[in-house]
This record gives sequence, C-alpha cells and structure tokens, in this order.
Amino acid sequence: MSPRRTDAGGRVDRLRTIRFTFDGAPYTGHAGDTLASALLANGVTLFGRSFKYHRPRGVLTAGVEEPNALVTVLRGEVREPNIAATMVEIYDGLTAVSQNRFPSLAWDINAANQLGGKLLSAGFYYKTFMGPAIGPLKSTRFWMFCEHFIRRAAGLGRAGTAADTARYERMNAFCDVLVVGSGPAGLMAARAAADQGARVILSELEPHFGGSANWSGETIDGMPAADWAARAAGQLEGYDNVRLLPRTTVWGYYDGNTLAALERVTDHKERPGKGEPRHRYWIIRAKSVVLATGSFERPLVFPGNDRPGVMLAHAAERYANEYGVLAGNRIALFTNNDSAYRSALALKKAGAAIVAIVDVRTELSSEMRELADEAEAKSLSGHAVVATEGGKALSGIKVQRFDMTNGALAGEARSIQADCLLMSGGWSPTIHLASQAGAKAEWNAARQAFLPPKPTQQWIGAGAFTGSFSTAEAIAEGRAAGLSAAGGTGTPTALPVVEAAPGDPDPAPVFEIKADGKSFVDFQHDVTAEDVRLAHREGFISVEHLKRYTTLGMATDQGKSSNILGLAIMAEALGKPIPEVGTTRFRPPFSAVSIGSLAAERFGDLRPERLTPMHDWHVANGATMYSAGLWYRPMIYGHAGETIEQAYVREAKATRESAGIVDVSTLGKIAVQGPDAAEFLDRVYTNMFSTLAVGKARYGLMLREDGLAFDDGTTWRLGQQDFLMTTTTANAGKVMQHLEYFLDVVWPELRVHVTSVTDEWAGAAIGGPKARAILAACVTGTAVDNAALPFMGIVHGKISGVPVMICRLSFSGEMAFEVYSGAGYGTHVWEALIEAGKPFGLVTYGLEALGTMRIEKGHVTGAEIDGRTTARDLHLDWMLSKKKPFIGSAMMDREGLIAPGRLELVGLISLDNQPLNGGAHIVEDLDEANPHDSIGHITACCYSPALGKYIALALVKDGMARRGTRAHISDPLRNRFGPVEIVSNHFFDPDGSRMHG
Amino acid sequence: MLITCPYCGPRDVIEFTYQGDGNRERPQPASQNLDAWNAYVYDRLNPAGDHNEIWQHSGGCRAHLRVVRNTLTHEISSVAFARGDHKVAARHKAEGKT
Amino acid sequence: MVERQSPLEPAPLEPELRTGSHGDFEHGPDVILSETRPGSILQLAAWPGQEKNLIAGIHTVTGLALPDGAGAGSTDGVRSVFGFAPGKFTVVDEAEGLVSAFAGVVTPAIGTVTDLSHGRTAIRIAGPKAEWVLAKFFAIDFALPAFPVGAGRSTMHHDVFAQIQRTGADQFDIYVFRSFARSFWKALCHASEEVGYEVQ
Repeated sequence: MSPRRTDAGGRVDRLRTIRFTFDGAPYTGHAGDTLASALLANGVTLFGRSFKYHRPRGVLTAGVEEPNALVTVLRGEVREPNIAATMVEIYDGLTAVSQNRFPSLAWDINAANQLGGKLLSAGFYYKTFMGPAIGPLKSTRFWMFCEHFIRRAAGLGRAGTAADTARYERMNAFCDVLVVGSGPAGLMAARAAADQGARVILSELEPHFGGSANWSGETIDGMPAADWAARAAGQLEGYDNVRLLPRTTVWGYYDGNTLAALERVTDHKERPGKGEPRHRYWIIRAKSVVLATGSFERPLVFPGNDRPGVMLAHAAERYANEYGVLAGNRIALFTNNDSAYRSALALKKAGAAIVAIVDVRTELSSEMRELADEAEAKSLSGHAVVATEGGKALSGIKVQRFDMTNGALAGEARSIQADCLLMSGGWSPTIHLASQAGAKAEWNAARQAFLPPKPTQQWIGAGAFTGSFSTAEAIAEGRAAGLSAAGGTGTPTALPVVEAAPGDPDPAPVFEIKADGKSFVDFQHDVTAEDVRLAHREGFISVEHLKRYTTLGMATDQGKSSNILGLAIMAEALGKPIPEVGTTRFRPPFSAVSIGSLAAERFGDLRPERLTPMHDWHVANGATMYSAGLWYRPMIYGHAGETIEQAYVREAKATRESAGIVDVSTLGKIAVQGPDAAEFLDRVYTNMFSTLAVGKARYGLMLREDGLAFDDGTTWRLGQQDFLMTTTTANAGKVMQHLEYFLDVVWPELRVHVTSVTDEWAGAAIGGPKARAILAACVTGTAVDNAALPFMGIVHGKISGVPVMICRLSFSGEMAFEVYSGAGYGTHVWEALIEAGKPFGLVTYGLEALGTMRIEKGHVTGAEIDGRTTARDLHLDWMLSKKKPFIGSAMMDREGLIAPGRLELVGLISLDNQPLNGGAHIVEDLDEANPHDSIGHITACCYSPALGKYIALALVKDGMARRGTRAHISDPLRNRFGPVEIVSNHFFDPDGSRMHG
Repeated sequence: MLITCPYCGPRDVIEFTYQGDGNRERPQPASQNLDAWNAYVYDRLNPAGDHNEIWQHSGGCRAHLRVVRNTLTHEISSVAFARGDHKVAARHKAEGKT
Repeated sequence: MVERQSPLEPAPLEPELRTGSHGDFEHGPDVILSETRPGSILQLAAWPGQEKNLIAGIHTVTGLALPDGAGAGSTDGVRSVFGFAPGKFTVVDEAEGLVSAFAGVVTPAIGTVTDLSHGRTAIRIAGPKAEWVLAKFFAIDFALPAFPVGAGRSTMHHDVFAQIQRTGADQFDIYVFRSFARSFWKALCHASEEVGYEVQ
C-alpha cells in the first residue's frame, strides 16, 4: 500500500496498476492518476527546484495553474520540458525527470543562491547588465563573463535537440455554440444549447468532463456530483449535434469569434494509434461562446509559503476526493475565506487529522464553526501563519495573533506540528479568454477579484467564471447561458438540485502576512513580496513595468496563481485601491502550446511540390531535380562521373551543334479571352498586341505602375478574342493578380476573362540547327518549314496522334520551337520528340544549360528584372510604345529613372579564366584589403561553351559606356578577386542569324 | 480576422491578399500629370479608424473586394465587390438557411 | 486514341498511395479516396448581365439546372456543374469533348469557355469521415446544412487552390491544379491514416 493512498474513495481505477519512473526511480500508480497524484500517493513531496534560488518545491495545485511541479517528460530521444506534473496522465512506461537541479533533486548545489538573495532580487538582470567594474571586467563584459554560470543556474527545463517525430495536425471546426469548460455550468450550457438543436462543441482541458463536480463531494439530483457529471457527459455523447473535446485547452480568443484550442490526443498513451496525431490544433469558429472556465484558488503570502507540503486547500481536497490521495496525515489550514472549511471536512472524511484551521478573520459564521467542529479541527480565528518549518518537507507551522484591520501580529508565536499546510486566499475567476477577447476586467470589492468584463464579442459567461462560486448558481447560469447562446428562451423545467456545504463566497481582504522571511508571490519565478516592494521603491509602479522588472507572472504558468497577489501588494505599497493599479491584459496562449501543433501539417515534407507532366520521365532518365519555387525542374541530366559544369556544358554545346530539348511546362500561362482582350493587352504590355495577327506570337514586356520593369514573356494570339499569355515561372502568380486587379478595380468595363492555364499545357522547347528537321520527322497535319512556320508563327498539328500547338520562338538563340500539348499527353509527346530526335543527336537539357544559353544570348530573367531596373536599364526601350499609354508609361521617365549613373545590363568576361560568382561586386580599382566603391554586381554567370570562357551578366553603373573597358570583380566573402572585361550583353550571335535561320 | 466575401461567405484572412489603399484614384491612362500619378502610386492614407481597403479573395473566388476596416479594432463594417456589376444572389438562397 | 496520363499514375507512388486499404483500417476504412478522371473539365464565365443566359446554355448542353445563388450547383453523377466565383462556373463531364458542345451555345456575347480538362485533377473523397479529413485542410464549413449537396466552394490549402463540390451526403469532389495533384494526394492519404482509408 502506498503511504498516502487512502483505503477507498477517489475516481482512479484501483484495479489497474501503472508503472512509471521519476528521476529514474520506479513507481506505481493507478489509471486515472496524474503524475502529481501518483507521486504524492507514493509519499513524494519534493518535485523540483525553484527558478532562481533553487529552493525545494512541492506541488501547489492540482491543475493547469501549477507553478512549481514542472517536469520533463522523455519519449525515446525526445524530451519535453516544463510540463506540469498535475497535467501529466500516467501511462505504463512514462519517464519523467525533475528540472533545474544539480547534481540531484534532493541535494542541489545552487540552493546556496538563496543565501545571496539580495543579489538575485527584482531587476537582477537589468542591474547586472550595468554590472560593476572590476578591473578589466567592465559592465557588460562582466555580465558576459557571468552569463554562462547564471544561465546554468537559473531557469526551467532543458529543451531537447532530437527531432520530434510525432505528428501534429490542424483542424478547422465550425459551431453555433462553443462551451469552454465542463464543470456543472459548462455541462448545463452544452445540454441546453444542444437541446435547442444548435451545433455544440464542449471542450475540457482535463481528461474527464465534470470540472469541480469530480471532487467537490457535493450531491446533485440525489447522486454524487461526479456521477451526475459523468451521466451528463454521457448523455451529451449521444447527441449528433455535439462534439466533445476532452484534453483540449482553448488557449486563444481572436477576432471574429475565432478560438484556438490544443487537443492532447496521445500524450496519455504509451504509443499513438496508426496515423494518430499527438496534438490537434483546433481553430474553432463559433457563432457564440459560453465561457465556463471556473476559477483559480489563490495562495496566501507569508514566510515559507513555498515549502514542500504547503498546498492550495482545494488541491488537497481534490487529491483526496478524485484520486484517493492524502496530501498529509496531520493537516493544518490557513484561510481568509469559507471555502477552506469544506476542504478541511473532506480531508477529515478521507482519513486525515485536521490539526488546525487558522483564519485571519476574527468573526466566523456559525456554519463555519460547525464545519470546523465536524472536522475535529482546532479553530484559530484571528490568527495567521507566520512561518513554516522543516527541510524538504513540512514539519510544522508557527502561528500568531493577527489583526486583519491593520495587518499587525501580536502575542507569542506558537508552533503546531503538521506535515501539510493548506492555504486558501480566495478565488479568482479564470477570465483569461474574456480578457483576450478584448475588454478590461472589472474589480469586485466583495469578491476581492477581477470579474469578467462586458463582452465585446459574442460570448456569455457562466458559473465561477462570473464570480458565482456555488454549484447551484453555476447550474442555473450554465443553462441560461446555453439557451441564450443557442438563441433559445427559458424553459420552465426544474433545475438539478444541489446539496452543498454552506459558505460565504466573499473572502477577507487579506493577501499577505508580513513577517520575517521570504514570502513568495510568484512561485515559478521566485518573486517575493519584498521584490514587489523593491520595484515600487525603485519607481516601477505601473503594473506592466512591475511585471517586466520583477518577472512576476511570466513563464509557463503566466502568473495564474500570482497576478492578483502581486497587484494587491503593489496597491498597498502605493496606498491605492487595487482597481486603480490595474491589471495586465491577458494574451494568448492561456497555457503552453506545442510549437509542433502550430506548424501542424507544414511540419515535415508537406510543403506542396509542383510537378510538371514529364516529371517522372526526367527522374527516370537521370535528371538531377532542382526546386524552383514550388516547382521541381531538371537541373542537368548528368552522365556518370560528370560534374555539374561538365554536364551543362555538354548539354548546351550539343544543343548549339545539333539540337536540345527542355521541359518548359512551368512557364506561367494565362488565357486572356474576350472582345476586349487585345485592348487590355495593349494597356498591360509596353508594346502593341492589338496589331498581332491570329496565329502569331509576340514578345511582351510589362512594367509596374511605378515604371519599373515587372515581367516579360511571349503572348500568342490563338483567335481574334483569344490570347495565350506566358509569364516567367517565378512571376506567374503575381502577373495573374496584376491582371485581375486591373480588370476588377481599374477597368471593369473591359470584357476580358483571365484564367490560369499553366497546368493545362505541357511544354517542350526544342532548339538547335536540327530542331526543324526533328519536328518535320514527327509532326503531322502541318508543315513546319519557314513558310508555314516563320519566326513567331504558330501552327497546329499532331505528334504521335496527339494534338499539339507549335510556336517558333527562341530563348536559347537557336532555331527553336515550343511544342504545347494537353498536360495529360505531355510525356507521350515528349517521348515522341525524343524518339524522333535520336537520329539527329537530340539531347535533353536542364536549367543550367538553359541558363547558360540565355546568358550567352544576353536575355533577361528575374535576376535582372529585380524590381529596381527599368526597361532602359535592360536595353528593352525598343519595346516601349510611343503610340499608346500603358501601365507604367507615365512614371517610367521620371528624372531618377533616366538619369545618368544607373545600373545597366552588360556582359562580363573573366580575364583570368576563373569562374565568376553570382552576386559578386564589380569595382574599378581592386583593393582586396578594403573593398569599396562598387559599380555593380553580377546577376548570372556560367562557363560559355560557345565562347570557351567564363562569362556573366551584370548590372553596372553606366554600363553601356563602359563596354570595352576593364574592371575587377571583388567578392571578399568568397575570396574571389580578378580582372574582367565589360562587354555587350549579347555575347553570342548578336544579330540573331541562328534563330531566324 | 474574418472577411465576409460577398460570394463565398466569411473566410479566414489567410485566404485574402491585401491589394492596397482603396482611396487611390488612378489618373486617366494618357494623363501626363506626374503629381497625380505620384499621388496614385505612392500616397497612402493611414487612418486610425475606418479605412477603405482593397482585398482580393485570392484563395477563393478571386474577386477583388472593397472593404471598410477599422485599423484599431479590425472590425469590418462593409464588404462589397470592387466591380459594381457583380449581381450575386444572396448566399442564403443557395443554402436554404441563414 | 492516346490515353491521358494522370499525375496519380500508380507506378511512381509509394504503396500507401496506391489502390488498397491503408492506415488504421482494421475496423473498415472510414474514407474512400479515388481519382475520378472526368473527360472534360470546363470553366465558363459570363459577361456582366449575361449570367442567366450562360446558366441557360449550361442547361441546354448538360441538362443540369443550376439553383439560384452563389456557389450553387448540381450533379447527376455523370455531369456536374457549380458556381465558384461571380458569374463563373465549373462544368464537368465524364466524357471528353464537352468544349465543342458549348461552341455555338455560349457565344462571345454571353461569355467565355476555357478548357481545363488537362489542367485540373479531380479527386473524390467519400465516407463517414470525409468531412473530418477535409477539415484538416480547408477552413470552410463542410457540414451538410452549410454545404449542401451539389454546391461548390473555392478555397485553398496553403498554396494549393481547390474547388470543391459536394456530390453526395458524404462525398466531395476536389478539383486541384494538376501540378499539385500528387502532393495533395499524398497529404490527403496521410491525413486519412488515422481513420483508415481505401484507395480505389
């Protein structure tokens, strides 16, 4: 028998034993246990070491707000740090380790930090940045010297380095009513909304629905509250219009009633099911939301309140009632309100001795006195706990008379032996989501709590969330909220009847007992009451400054147990009421969210790949594929033993000597159709398209509105009102949006439709001296000679039984043709062309050879049309029509765009016969030690088989005028310096005799 | 943020592309008034409050929309097709419910 | 007649993307995935004021009546039509050559016809968990009242544009760009693993 497990009671499955380890030691627990409850059952009280002082810490709470008991959970090589032990469901093989301790949890070398508490006080980081000057170690250098040690000593868990192989998914959900929280209020709301026929989602961050009903010990409709909740949840399961989401934390409330939630699908399982994600990131769009998120019990601030064995009162009640675990055998309570008396009685019934109930209030109601009597507890009203005793576990407390009107202590301190001290400092509604949704919380002096603001989005509150702390109120409000959220009206049926212990929901306004010793406000960040006062003395009185200066309320728990306490202490120091000090606005996430879930299906290799119709052929025929945006394109078709350069030089050379073929299916293709299509193209392109004959293509240039070059490509006139525009691969989407914008917003009167047909067509460009002969050998239904198919002509025919459209145009500078077929026939046509080309020495070539031949020809691509260059800079001014306005025409001749000194397109030849590098700067005078005065840069480079030299295209200041002169490349990053000659960008066949044939 | 596309209904902002200030007025194509062009290309209103914006439902029907959005609260008070001539039957007719 | 090649030809695909049952299917697959390979996929677009004439033309050619309203559509199992944008419709036919049937019907005065039979790939997902799996990809409401049978939607999953038509109570036809089809198919299979899926 575990030392702290009760003989009976609780909702764990005592017949199922589960084995797990903590810090390497084996333990057992039961199905339904959390790591916290199972360790407590085993008598473990020490869970971790605190953030700064390395003080021993136990478990403070029983839920998501836990600041102390953070552990690292290991799954194989993957470690997940900073998980609250109160939220870890145990499973066979669970491996958890404690954090922030060295060399071991029980014996921690850095615990000495607490002796130097002054050094690590509020604002420590800021002050240390300004550190003392000790010899050579001045200010920030001193900090840098210390940083390594401090960072090692202070902190939470250590992140892992192993790749997380778990799956994460994103889910989109829509509902009429989202109910957040499944306590009695949430269950009633869900049921009421569902009965109205609304689509309902009920989310619960814990594994079981029911919230406080699972441990309150109350009776609802004549049955234990936990049974009532289980029955209610079971009934909801039977509704088609209800989705139940257990283990799901709603962590963000965004615009448009969009909420974000994290579902922990498999964290409680030994291993996930096939295809099961570890976490689901739910994005829920709800017409309305019922916030039934309950409340958090607050600690009290007094010396030694962080000693292991000191716990929140309801947490111990929950451990006893829900898990069958006693937090102690001799239990004392310290409270400022009535709820602790119910806890005391529950623990008494579970088998503990209640040694004392210390209450700051002098006057107790008769009901509370009766409860104390029933718990056989010594009632010490008008007293306060002023110290705790013991080492890594509590052995006793000291109490003194306390006057809550002025906070004064009086009389002898007396000791009481206890192994557990439960504190209750009142309750704070869990208003985080309402605060995220956009309004400021309101202070309620009676409840001594911030209550939810008036809704600014479509939500309704219910239960403890609204400050209505009794179960009867929760049930009534829950049903009303559910009805209202679903747009229904009240029903006369009776509400479930609650039998509960009496109690006044309003606490005494006492937050802190001032006595000697460290009194913790924020357990997770080791912020003491004195730190808050120090911040005040140093002028950090705004609550936002207080938070940043002291780190109060930061880290994984986000101050769920400490915010109000810090605020109250600051208010007292300022001599102002709490609402005047304000509260911080809560931001998402409510609790920690896995990064994996946010990345969701983007995680891994699921970036979409765009494949051309001939993709598999390329791969099967030795292509090295290269990703260009989302597209995959052949880079080279390498032969065994070839380098990349050898491969592309061979491919380009063979193309110029006989013929080559390249997949150009990725070019953007846009169908431009309608009676005003030609007029539209005249406005979009710098040159004329209305004069283009049907069956002809023309090279076109587009500018942006600001007059800079935008994109280029050929556009084919397939019919009087039917054009096929091609764009560069990279700009296809941008050009499409550009056209759509002008048609929708600027010229809605034009009757033109634009449609992306990039994927409709497979494209193969075949070029070289033998290209025409190859086509002649395989094309039927049309001639391809110069008369039938002149330069920029288009014919329709068939290849191997498949309809094709052939346009004679050239990017390589050779006699070349683009052959388009339906994408589903792409490989068929490609293979037919390859077959027809065999007798002619046809080679396949990839992007590298394509790039090489275009550099040799001096054609521009995105590297030159870089958003900074004009048509003139690129020597494309011959394309700027003077007969018509076009997009960019008004702005293209602005002073700065035609002034001397602009970067202009030129060619470069490497004079030292060494390769050139893309991006390298060009200088007039070489100064390797001190590179300066760049006159331009290289945009594209290659080895030119046609010239037998390393060449490049470059943008050079006043480049045209520099042709024939020498300069240097200066590339200090890659340590490449050397002489170049500046030449025309038309390296090869400048008069185009080859392509015109 | 949700934008209610008049054709597609409410959709997440990730489906939309911001296409700029909706207050801009493009000069006549042949206009040589550089000041007017300059204002059109570069001048943008930056109000704290309601703002006329152009959004494209690029991840949906691809229509351009005139959106009035409050830059302080993200509240969208009106959405309409940029083209005045899209006559689209109200969505609820197609779905038989609101 | 040369057969069209699909981007989902089985040969290059991993076994779990090909015909058969995969994932957690021991209790029966909850979704069935298939490529429907229609012969014709057309985009029809009306000039402003010509929507009714276009809809009449669609009815003439396909026999399908279009209900009024944005995103409305209908299907008879062989031919399908749905609106995907103002004045714009996708028309699908099992048979090839539908574009020529519209030649004299949708005149230049009414609007335009664009043949996308090769450019779009049609993927069908059917079964009790079809809505669940699609909800992983698309931020639209797939519930029957919000998305009735016959209706169409334009949406996207990251960079993948999709037009989706509901062709049955638990059946959806998804039209994606052909170049993205294999990538999307992989993602769809992957997302279906937890419910068990059968590729037909």
